[in-house]
Amino acid sequence: MKTRFLALFLILGLVLSLAACGGSASTTAAAGGQAATTAAPAGDSGEKVKLTFGIWDSYQKPGMEALAAAYTAKNPNVTIEVQVTGWDEYWTKLEAAASGGELPDIFWMHTNEFVKYASNNMLVDVTNLYDGATDAGYSNFPEGLVKNFTYDGKLYGVPKDWDTIGLAYNKEIFDQAGVKYPDDTWTWDTLVEAAKTIKEKTGIYGFAAPYDDQQGFLNTVYQAGGFTVADGKTGYNTDATKMGLAYYISLQKDYDFSPTQEQFADADAGTLFQSGQVAMQFLGSWNITPYMNNEDIKGKFDIAILPKATNPVSGEGRASIYNGLAYATSTKGKNQAAALEFLKFLGTKEANIIHGESGAAIPAFNGTSETWLTKFPELNLKAYTDMMEYGIQFPGSKTKSKWGPIEKQTIMEVYNGTLTVDEAVAKLETEVGAILATE
Amino acid sequence: MTSTHIAQVKRARRLSHDAGWGYLMVAPTILGLIILNIYPFFHSFYMSFSETMLFGNWEWVGLDNYRKMFSDPNMWRATGNTLYFVLLTVPLGIFLALAFASMLNSQIKGRDALRAIYFLPMIVAPAAIAMVWKWLYNTEYGLINQFLSLLIGDDVKINWISNPKLALPAAAIVAIWSSIGYDIILLLAGLQAIPRSYYEAADIDGANFISKFFHITIPMVSPTMFFVLIMRLMAALKQFDLVYMMITDTNPAFQQSQTLMYLFYRESFQVGNKGYASALVLWTFVIILAFTAIQFVGQKKWVHYDQ
Repeated sequence: MKTRFLALFLILGLVLSLAACGGSASTTAAAGGQAATTAAPAGDSGEKVKLTFGIWDSYQKPGMEALAAAYTAKNPNVTIEVQVTGWDEYWTKLEAAASGGELPDIFWMHTNEFVKYASNNMLVDVTNLYDGATDAGYSNFPEGLVKNFTYDGKLYGVPKDWDTIGLAYNKEIFDQAGVKYPDDTWTWDTLVEAAKTIKEKTGIYGFAAPYDDQQGFLNTVYQAGGFTVADGKTGYNTDATKMGLAYYISLQKDYDFSPTQEQFADADAGTLFQSGQVAMQFLGSWNITPYMNNEDIKGKFDIAILPKATNPVSGEGRASIYNGLAYATSTKGKNQAAALEFLKFLGTKEANIIHGESGAAIPAFNGTSETWLTKFPELNLKAYTDMMEYGIQFPGSKTKSKWGPIEKQTIMEVYNGTLTVDEAVAKLETEVGAILATE
Repeated sequence: MTSTHIAQVKRARRLSHDAGWGYLMVAPTILGLIILNIYPFFHSFYMSFSETMLFGNWEWVGLDNYRKMFSDPNMWRATGNTLYFVLLTVPLGIFLALAFASMLNSQIKGRDALRAIYFLPMIVAPAAIAMVWKWLYNTEYGLINQFLSLLIGDDVKINWISNPKLALPAAAIVAIWSSIGYDIILLLAGLQAIPRSYYEAADIDGANFISKFFHITIPMVSPTMFFVLIMRLMAALKQFDLVYMMITDTNPAFQQSQTLMYLFYRESFQVGNKGYASALVLWTFVIILAFTAIQFVGQKKWVHYDQ
């Protein structure tokens, strides 16, 4: 009898622990955020202040630490601790921390999530941060970036950096196949021809076309003159969007020069490119530092601007998805005064030069992008900054966390062969439209 | 006042004193259980009737989440996938665990070393296990395909984790591999508790190995097997980590491999529908409860407790 009761008790405990996992996960995340803020009350009176600085990219940690060190050199009473949390966990943790009023003093903000935080009064309005300053101000940043972090006419973040998408190619494989390197004359057709030739001559995959939005179909959709979501409206079911989407998907499905979605499940496009198994891929500028840290690919690749659409439905056929980050601070921060001072510093030309020279990302301050180009002079990084001219802001809206997964699942069905492009865009038009209507 | 009366009062005092200490000693566990398990359980239940907004705000929506859930094809597919995963892992896992436990209970060479080896996967983090197996399953370079190629002398290119028909069975193999050590230890303990005299008596009666196994071993080890069965069922119904690590949402096999807990994770932490996710958890809870209830009724037929 005893054994039976023991078993029953143990089992009850286990069953309860399952049903409990819904709530407890966010509790622990909140506790993690809580530990982050431990400092004396803020002030510029010379009191010791310790600020926490939350970021998600470990490759940019040295850059952020250089900024912190430069600030501490001038303000010895302020020390700044950079805390890295991986991308997925970063947002889970940040939301839990925000709910508990325990956000880091300074943290990176992304356009995907910005509206959600700004509209819920989580971020400090920094519109007037540079009032009275002569050497700094928001007019020094690209207009689009400032607009990205503006909500209801107020600015809630200091622009940090921006990125665009370029065409990365492996020079060794191109030489081996005897194909001319990509340049600004390339079109969609040239890309297909080059990829075909490389595959025929060398047996190596010519181009990697995995499912991807920012480094994938969004670029071709906008090159064709289409759009997915803009100003709270959907543009999926238009000829131009269909053309761009169909072209990008065809690169994997209609030719044999790209690995398939099955193969990308084993190893992603970046891994394949870095190990010399594909000759070309669409590559975001934030990947340059990790690629240059990899001895296998360093020195073998270069960057060109994206090919233009062959016969776009409208426009010039040029587009590259750009996006930018901002530094933000919390309305509930205990060290708000000190955090705002640091934020102010981060938006100066001096800070942007430190940022650029560290190679972390393209600094946002006008005229400082050159500093990023000089980090790796052997690469044609100018391709990235040149494309800013026709850069298209990475689409987003307040409910992106809800329609984003639907977009992914629906387009994946085209890859799986259960939907055609026409059916997929019709479905997206209705389903994403319904979610946008709730905003 | 008699001396016996005084002694009684003293004893009563000491008892209540002892009880106080007892409560104090179990307090950390009980508090932990209340804070981490019991309270969140009721909170999840409550949340399943609300639509959660951002940053801890919510709105009462009654049965909306449940209505949405039962008409969501993703939920039914995930339920089907989860039950399929149970079918793939539980019977085979327990059979193999019992077979290995019997082997390790006999007088074979290197028994202690083998016991340690079988237990080893248990001490490895599931995420690490998933990463290593993902490489083993790799279509082009994976050791499994390489080995099969050598075996049949032809190039084998099986898409283990991206073929919709194979992905879940592939994950099931890993699940069995990683949990079998624990089951073996439990069953081994059960086997060792069987008195030797039963077998000796059977030997005298001239019973062979098979009949000894079915008439002595199985009935005697059945309480442990029952426990292992329940544990394994729950673990399989709650499968998340291996599938999450091995099969991402751009994998062609994703729809055929998404388990209930995976769907819960996506709804809760990626989409941010914590209310709907809570309803999914409650649904999983009901399934587990049903399975467990069936087991408790069914056990009367095959589990023997020595009274």
